[in-house]
Amino acid sequence: MSGFRERDTWWAYAFLIPWIFGFIVFTAGPMVWGAVLSFTNYSVVAPSHSVGLANYRQIANDPYALLSLKNSFEMTAIYVPLEMGLALLFASMLARLTRFDGFFRTVFYLPVMTPTVAIGGMYLLMFNGPYGLVDQFLGIFHIPQPYWLTDPNWIKPGIAAMLVWQVGANTVLYLAAIKNVPQQLYESAAIDGASAWRRFKDVTLPMISPTLFFTFIILTVYGLQVFDQIYTAFYNPSNAKISSDTSLMYVIYLFQQAFEYLHMGFASAMAWLLFGIILVITGIQILVSKRFVYYEGEQTR
Amino acid sequence: MKGRWKAIAVLAVAAAVVAVVAGTAAGAHRGVSSKSAGGTLNIMGFGTNGDDVAKNRTAIAEKAVAPVKVNLPNGGFNEQQFLTDLASKQVPDLVYWDRSYVGTYAAKGALMPLTSCIKSQHIDLSQYRQAALGPVTYKGVVYGIPEFFDVRTIIVDTNVADQSGVTGKMLNTQNLNTLKAAALKMYKHNGGQVTRIGFDPKLPEFFPLWAKIFGVDILSKNGLVPHLNDPRAIAALTYANSLIQAQGGYNAFLAFRNTWDFFGGDNQVAKNQVGAWPMEEWYYNVLASVSPNVHVAAIPVRNHIGGIVNYSTGSAWSIPKGAANTAAACKWMKAMTATKTWVTVANIRKAKYAQNHQYWTGLFTANSKADAIINKPTSGEPKQWASILNTVEHAEKYSFAIPASPASAEFTTAWTNAVNRVLQGQQSPKQALDQAQKEAVAAIKAATK
Amino acid sequence: MTSVSAERAGPPSPDIPPAALGPQRPGWRRGLPFAKQLPFIVLLAGFSVLFIYPFLWLVSASLKSRADVFNNKLIPSTFVFHNYVKIWNVAPFLRWFGNSMYISILAAVLVTFASALTAFTFAYFRFPLRNFLFGCVLATMMLPSVVTMIPVYLVWHHVGLSNSQIPLWAPNLFGSAFYIFLQRQFFMGIPRTYFEAARMDGDNYFTMFWRIAVPLAKPALIVTFLFEFKAKWNDLMTPLIYLHHYNQYTIPLGLYDLLGVYSPSAGGSGDYEWLMAAFVLATIPLLIIFAFGQRYFVRGITLQGYKG
Repeated sequence: MSGFRERDTWWAYAFLIPWIFGFIVFTAGPMVWGAVLSFTNYSVVAPSHSVGLANYRQIANDPYALLSLKNSFEMTAIYVPLEMGLALLFASMLARLTRFDGFFRTVFYLPVMTPTVAIGGMYLLMFNGPYGLVDQFLGIFHIPQPYWLTDPNWIKPGIAAMLVWQVGANTVLYLAAIKNVPQQLYESAAIDGASAWRRFKDVTLPMISPTLFFTFIILTVYGLQVFDQIYTAFYNPSNAKISSDTSLMYVIYLFQQAFEYLHMGFASAMAWLLFGIILVITGIQILVSKRFVYYEGEQTR
Repeated sequence: MKGRWKAIAVLAVAAAVVAVVAGTAAGAHRGVSSKSAGGTLNIMGFGTNGDDVAKNRTAIAEKAVAPVKVNLPNGGFNEQQFLTDLASKQVPDLVYWDRSYVGTYAAKGALMPLTSCIKSQHIDLSQYRQAALGPVTYKGVVYGIPEFFDVRTIIVDTNVADQSGVTGKMLNTQNLNTLKAAALKMYKHNGGQVTRIGFDPKLPEFFPLWAKIFGVDILSKNGLVPHLNDPRAIAALTYANSLIQAQGGYNAFLAFRNTWDFFGGDNQVAKNQVGAWPMEEWYYNVLASVSPNVHVAAIPVRNHIGGIVNYSTGSAWSIPKGAANTAAACKWMKAMTATKTWVTVANIRKAKYAQNHQYWTGLFTANSKADAIINKPTSGEPKQWASILNTVEHAEKYSFAIPASPASAEFTTAWTNAVNRVLQGQQSPKQALDQAQKEAVAAIKAATK
Repeated sequence: MTSVSAERAGPPSPDIPPAALGPQRPGWRRGLPFAKQLPFIVLLAGFSVLFIYPFLWLVSASLKSRADVFNNKLIPSTFVFHNYVKIWNVAPFLRWFGNSMYISILAAVLVTFASALTAFTFAYFRFPLRNFLFGCVLATMMLPSVVTMIPVYLVWHHVGLSNSQIPLWAPNLFGSAFYIFLQRQFFMGIPRTYFEAARMDGDNYFTMFWRIAVPLAKPALIVTFLFEFKAKWNDLMTPLIYLHHYNQYTIPLGLYDLLGVYSPSAGGSGDYEWLMAAFVLATIPLLIIFAFGQRYFVRGITLQGYKG
């Protein structure tokens, strides 16, 4: 390792200057400032006053803040297993194909290339109760057709379904992970007489568990912060009048507080609270996964 | 190889520089603010959007402020942009916005009181309707000059009413039981799906109207005391909600309503998909233009003691504090809302309509003197449309509006959310309005600190 | 004098498992009879229809008249191509398109090279605090964007640029943690001998970076460019915060605005068919870059996940 006297080091730091500047101005600095802001009542048009813990107390007392947090949790709890399960299902099937797998992979990936605003807009029109495409499709099978846009029981599952349309990204990821499992393991399992399901459970799953774990964390963080599609579908001016409390997600409420009511201090407190929650959840996920994630070179559980 | 890469690198840097410069130039366009105080009038929120009345009035006002140059960028009022402008102290000279914004921004100290402007320009405040001046007056000071006046009456699809044996008298909001019975008569459904709405109470938007029907103002005259959980307001919400629940329930009701071709030739009146509903008066104009052969009638909304009520909203002109060219701004406001201006542009429109054989359904200006001249049926106008015009014009006299308040956005959100919660069956009207009342009181308290 | 760099070396072998680069054909699976694959093909075909159908519906709705736009019929009874003409007239769609294009390209180019420089530095140089600083990069990756959203807005606000397009691309001048992480993998896979050779030839560090590292990391750079282009093209939240002038809007913000304008309950005219055309037009550029860069998207996803 070189020291500060070497010319190399000076070059390295010279190259790093852009990143360091950006880190201070757009990451580290704002983090600190955001924390400071969360203890004030700054509203851009008026001078700022320190209010101590008032913002945090207000979050605890604000029914909408708590509600939006609950909504985000519930929606994420539906979305993450659904997305992981579907992605795994598709990836497993794709892994078995020798032909057409590229074609299917493309098909599943196409929705990932669709602008999220368009997805939100399409959702409004395709899930519009019994007149929308989705319910008409369900009607063919005589499945009850929910009112996805207005029925509080169906708003979150509907949102999860809308998000899951972009499952292609995770499918591709899992597919690569599955294909990376050494063939010998399957062969020896097959020789031992293991069925397809057991091969999946005892070979595939443990071998791709790092990837599964990675997406588990990423998807959870994403689910708790998802904005575009939901804001477009439920919070554009045309249907703000019918927006339900059930569709109010945490980041949407945060955005409204910050940029529609200019409660910057309060919104900063909300942001830091979410950060704390995400850290805790990620920490729990890491602890829990220690039991389940198998890294090459470690002992099996 | 070395030379080629070098060339590519130079090109890339050059392209990046060009892009940066172009982007900066485009992105640094600060919009409406311009510093030449004598020569320009920067207006925000009044993109003309092709409306002939707007274009003609603009022409008149431009003449009135000449030789000052008028800067009218496209697009409606954008609150975030306005906030940014306020915070960076580069405000437009004039904003055009909904009257509900005035109280909030006046309370924030962001608007210039118009008292001196009114005096110097000899603007006659008595020509504006009371219900239009109310929302733009905060703590006794006028902060906005109103224009346009939405009149809400009940639009009746007379085909549907006749078919179902419903008379105009039955559609009187004074007699709630009769009204509900009439609604159910006109309501049609096929299994779980609604195929015709009998009476649409227009919730959550018209909740203030329903509260007034039941005899209560949801916000005190001084804009500081909400009455959202007054027992009469709760009763109003209970009743209006029950109408929806009786006509298929909220989900089916709303889903059906969303399928209407509202602005097209196949609209819900032409296709007899609705019996009656309270609506702003501009919809008569839409009907007259896209489906003139429909059979409709206008019935005023009445309160529990039989008097006419009209819940009114509209736009206003305000001058932000620190505006550069207040003199021109004052001249503009006066010219835009003067009686003469309105009459001139209305005549132009009437002539245009006559040419296209379109029925005249009125232009409601918030200027009562102008209204009296403009809103008379044209000669030869069919009885149906003349009668609608007269009903709407008459209802204007009995208008109310939500007073100017220091937290109007939060107040509106509070009761809108409450109504939605009730519609979706998540809370009872009392619970929802109690919560809304708490939220509204807190918001107003925070805004007046 | 030409350097002994890329001509002699041949393609590098960065430390990425080949399987992560795309689908493989594992030897023993060739034996799997087609009959056994068939049920999966059928199932996948069924799901594919489900996934593709919304696109078909979208295109079909964009070609219908207003009255028909909700009738969910796959083939419009009358084809209204005029929607695609009208949409350019009812809103400054061309400007929005141009804005989105230049911002996305600019942002993608900037972040690619800024991240490359940073990633290369972390990969090649040995210097004190290297691990700590790279830890900061990792930490930035895990940071939820909402935490910095408001203060960053205030930063721009205080320099007077909170009402412009600059905040949408300027931060990319300084690299982005995710791409730095991704590209570092590639740079680490370049054998140091290439660099030694170049240094012996008299290259300074920057020339070495530019002439050796960058060409060899081309796949990672392309992945970065495509991913960032897509991310910027689709971004709604940042334009919502910073763009307030109608003509400055990017496509997502414009679409969001149109959704409000053309919805009946907003007082709009319900011309959803124009909106559908707008959605299709907004998606086409992404589909084009996907068609050309598909394998890079796949590669990018798997690189992201594999080393995660």
